[in-house]
Amino acid sequence: MNKKVIALLFKDVLLEFRQKHSFYGILLYIASTVFVLYLSMPDTPESSVWNSLFWVIQLFVCVNAVAKSFLQESKGRMLYFYSIASPIQFIAAKLIFNVLLMLIMSLISLGLFYTFLGSPVVDFQLFIGITILGGTGISLVFSLMSAIAAKAQQNAALIAILGFPVILPQLLILIKLSKSAFGEVFRDGAVLQLAGLNILMDLLVIVLSVILFPYLWKD
Amino acid sequence: MNKIWWKILSFILLVYTIVCGFLLEVPRLDILNETIRNLYFHVCMWFGMMILFIISFIYSVKYLRGFNYRNDIFARHFAAVGCLFGILGYLTGIIWVKVTWVTDQGQSLGSVLKEPKLIGAAIALLIYGAYFVLRGSFTDIDKRARISAVYNIFAFAMLFPSIWIIPRLVGSLHPGAPGSDSGNPALDKNDMDSTMRMVFYPAVIGWTLLGVWIATLKIRLSIISEKNIFEIKKMN
Amino acid sequence: MNKLILIVIVSFFSTLAFAQAEPQMADVMRSNGKIYDVVAVCLTILVGLFLYVFIIDRKISKIEKNK
Repeated sequence: MNKKVIALLFKDVLLEFRQKHSFYGILLYIASTVFVLYLSMPDTPESSVWNSLFWVIQLFVCVNAVAKSFLQESKGRMLYFYSIASPIQFIAAKLIFNVLLMLIMSLISLGLFYTFLGSPVVDFQLFIGITILGGTGISLVFSLMSAIAAKAQQNAALIAILGFPVILPQLLILIKLSKSAFGEVFRDGAVLQLAGLNILMDLLVIVLSVILFPYLWKD
Repeated sequence: MNKIWWKILSFILLVYTIVCGFLLEVPRLDILNETIRNLYFHVCMWFGMMILFIISFIYSVKYLRGFNYRNDIFARHFAAVGCLFGILGYLTGIIWVKVTWVTDQGQSLGSVLKEPKLIGAAIALLIYGAYFVLRGSFTDIDKRARISAVYNIFAFAMLFPSIWIIPRLVGSLHPGAPGSDSGNPALDKNDMDSTMRMVFYPAVIGWTLLGVWIATLKIRLSIISEKNIFEIKKMN
Repeated sequence: MNKLILIVIVSFFSTLAFAQAEPQMADVMRSNGKIYDVVAVCLTILVGLFLYVFIIDRKISKIEKNK
């Protein structure tokens, strides 16, 4: 069971290394978006503006990074996976891979934001933690959305339409949570409570993906 | 489904709602004044919407359990009528907001739209909008039914935590929100006395039954118009 | 005597203040019976709506039987 998940994961990573152009494509996407922001914004944006821009960019990066994870699989290849693995193993591998990919992208974009737009962040470790949490949550939701959109043979636009209303509450939590890293004072335990809520939502998404993916899988 | 008694019940309940809703005494409150009677109409739209979405969700689950195409038709039309109720709730809400929140308390429309209730409602409508867009992008009916059922279940399961979470993140003008005095985000129990409750709950049931009735009409129509599909399925 | 006048004045002002605090309601409409017109209008619309839905219901039933 676990071996197959690891093998599928390994295959995705290998594919990413072979087709470097898509990886670099997303990197360039992040870089150019941040650069556009850098040119269009005042030198040091307010912390609330910085915060909302950061998370909106995360959202779009995720749509682009995760979108291809199911769209790239051709029909023949899906048939092959179908014969060697169970749907749960397949979705588990995809989820782990997308989370890893998104975490790399999130941290890179955080670095770019830091260099280009300055940073209102006071507690840097905390903010990195929040970024990791947020990247995980966003990529989990968009993995399943990507699986659905792939079945509809649609482009990334459908993923955005399907995913944005669903991700909104998590995004609000994250925006609220990151204010704690900007030195805003919270009620005792509120930060932990919000983080816990976010993790619970992530778990819910994972459980739903595992339950629902088998229905998307068979054709 | 074709029984007549609940249709008559819906009619009687709504007549009762209008007669008693306009004629009975209501609590005298500042700013709200007589508009508190909107509770019997506007709030019922939201309750009806949520109940219809729950029914749609249940039929989506049923579809995935047996792949019976009928259940997909049910899920689709209940979601559609739920959306109708949601849009009506929005429109009536705009009228009500104008006299209670925007003018008297010096609130701009921008701050009103960030109301947690409105965000929750907007998410629900966006989700079901996406549901219909998703449905529209398939040509194969079995595939369409299956994938959209998956999305319906996923989105609905995510909708409920968000309705519960968002009011606790965003400040609210809405009666009964945490931050104002009572804990229930949906209704301020203090504003409703027992006579209002005696009208309000029947009103919810009445409006919901009307929604269910309209939905069943649409369902029966599409079962008739898609008769060919059912016959083909029987032959297989 | 003075005390009595004071009490009267105070009570008068307090009732006045109370009357101002009382939220305005459409009591006039209720007292002259115009509220019944409003109820009648709404009921007519409701009855019309239900009749319409009911007729559609009947039509669909007929088509279902012919099938």
